[in-house]
Amino acid sequence: MYPWTDRSGRFSALKSAVFAGLFLPLLWLIWRWRTGDLGPLPIDEATLESGRWTVRMIVITLAITPLQRIFGWGRLALVRRQVGLAAMGYALLHLSLYVADQKFDLGRVASEIALRLYLTIGFAAVFGLVVLGVTSTNAAVRYLGRWWKPLHRVAYAIAGLGILHFFMQSKIDATQAALMMGFFILVMLYRVPNAARLRSVWTLAGIAIMAAFLTAGLEATWYGAATGIKPLAVLQANLLFPGVIRPAWVVLGTGLAVALLWFGQRTWAAQKRQLQAAA
Amino acid sequence: MNILRRRGWELPERLVTPEHVFLNRRAFLAAGTGIAALAVAGRARAETDPSASLYPASVNPAFKDAGRDVTPFEINSTYNNYYEFNTSKRIYEQAEALPIRPWSVVIDGEVEKPVTIAIDDLLKRMTLEERVYRHRCVEAWSMVVPWTGFALSEFVSLAKPLASAKFVRFETFNLPDVAAGQKPGLFSSMPWPYVEGVTIAEAGNELPFMVTGAYGKPLPKSMGAPLRLHLPWKYGFKSIKGIVRVSFTSERPIGFWEQLQASEYGFWANVNPEVAHPRWSQASERVLGTDEQIPTQLFNGYGEYVAALYAGMEKEPLYM
Repeated sequence: MYPWTDRSGRFSALKSAVFAGLFLPLLWLIWRWRTGDLGPLPIDEATLESGRWTVRMIVITLAITPLQRIFGWGRLALVRRQVGLAAMGYALLHLSLYVADQKFDLGRVASEIALRLYLTIGFAAVFGLVVLGVTSTNAAVRYLGRWWKPLHRVAYAIAGLGILHFFMQSKIDATQAALMMGFFILVMLYRVPNAARLRSVWTLAGIAIMAAFLTAGLEATWYGAATGIKPLAVLQANLLFPGVIRPAWVVLGTGLAVALLWFGQRTWAAQKRQLQAAA
Repeated sequence: MNILRRRGWELPERLVTPEHVFLNRRAFLAAGTGIAALAVAGRARAETDPSASLYPASVNPAFKDAGRDVTPFEINSTYNNYYEFNTSKRIYEQAEALPIRPWSVVIDGEVEKPVTIAIDDLLKRMTLEERVYRHRCVEAWSMVVPWTGFALSEFVSLAKPLASAKFVRFETFNLPDVAAGQKPGLFSSMPWPYVEGVTIAEAGNELPFMVTGAYGKPLPKSMGAPLRLHLPWKYGFKSIKGIVRVSFTSERPIGFWEQLQASEYGFWANVNPEVAHPRWSQASERVLGTDEQIPTQLFNGYGEYVAALYAGMEKEPLYM
């Protein structure tokens, strides 16, 4: 099975498009490097950027199964593995760039990973992604049999570690990390109800609201626990209008958009059935 | 007796930037986008800044060479931590919105007579000179900057502090209409305005420099125009930008970063390669504009000037 073919070996436009899309962040990064847009410490900036894309790819991978269940898009299953592998790829690039930034002094890299908790956590997440990556082949799936699924549930823990690492490395501004945490919460909440219950506007909207509150609460908790910013002020920042759109609102908007899309899809399908029945 | 004392800026020949690195850097810069625009903005500023005729000032021979190549202006003026504008390093476009005339500085606290002085009057009363200083950021990178300005000690003499003054507290503007980071939102809950401080003994040292220009021109806004501090032996966050108030206090001021992250950023913040930041090593630094990573020096190599300030203070967290 090639990155552009489905299980029966036929060309798949969806899979090919996703496969090409997974390289866009890398091409964008290379372009920025070539034009000097990464600034005077390009390796440093590229390390940060590849790390951001690793977390985004992990969250996208974890969004595929819930989207498939909500919208009934069975074909999405075709692309889950390659998005997951892209997460591993960006993670390895991220780690390699860090090693390059340390002038390939592997002793120093090892001691920094051991000494700094956020690096230990990040390294554990990269290691986990590699384990999942090498056990993602068809042969490995067959070999592991009923153990494959429990092993690959480690992806949830890896996402948690990656996002924690993202929070811990922020100098003070953890907005991007909070946003990724919010999306992670959203895609995890979609996994709680069974498929029949999930396919309801009220369940989907309820999950969106719950995810938004959890995002706001956990974000405020982070600032309160790790910085001198008052958690109450962080919560209040969500209610300042007009202001910068805060992570909790983005998560709410995304979750409500999913609910609306599902509703639209269902209404359209029902009308089509009616028209067909009338014809 | 002729005592040969090696000054901090005297570095061995092996540390001199190799020519190919120097030339590569030029090529790298030529490729940079937005730099032409910046040069235009720089020219416009030089034409309109009422203090433009004061530059370039004569070079203080003691600080004419920092032992390393001067970092290109194009890097220095476009790679800045200035959270008032935003939390990225690229703030130079936004910083152009800051109005720097009229600009005045309040001198108050434990002084004979509190005054407010307009920046151009202040410039007339101080002796401007150029000093090339090494700048070490707490984020483990460094630059070399040819500053123009006057000694903080000269400013302290002007302010005439009382004997009760033990600290000098500096404060930056708070202009939410201009500076996006101070607008209502998460970052408006940060402890604005930016505050930093030094002891009165540190302020009397010869190194602390009140900066009004760089590279022989008035200071670009991204670098802290019209008035900033530079403390070359301390991590960069101590070197406050856009100063509007200097207060002489009996209480130790608590800096912006100390308020935000007391476990990572303290009052003293003297450079020391042996004392790691909680999240990274400070043993070495990346030199902006080169591919080099070089060992960091105690007090950023200025120990001969400042080490005596800290004699007997070993119990203080001097390096954080």
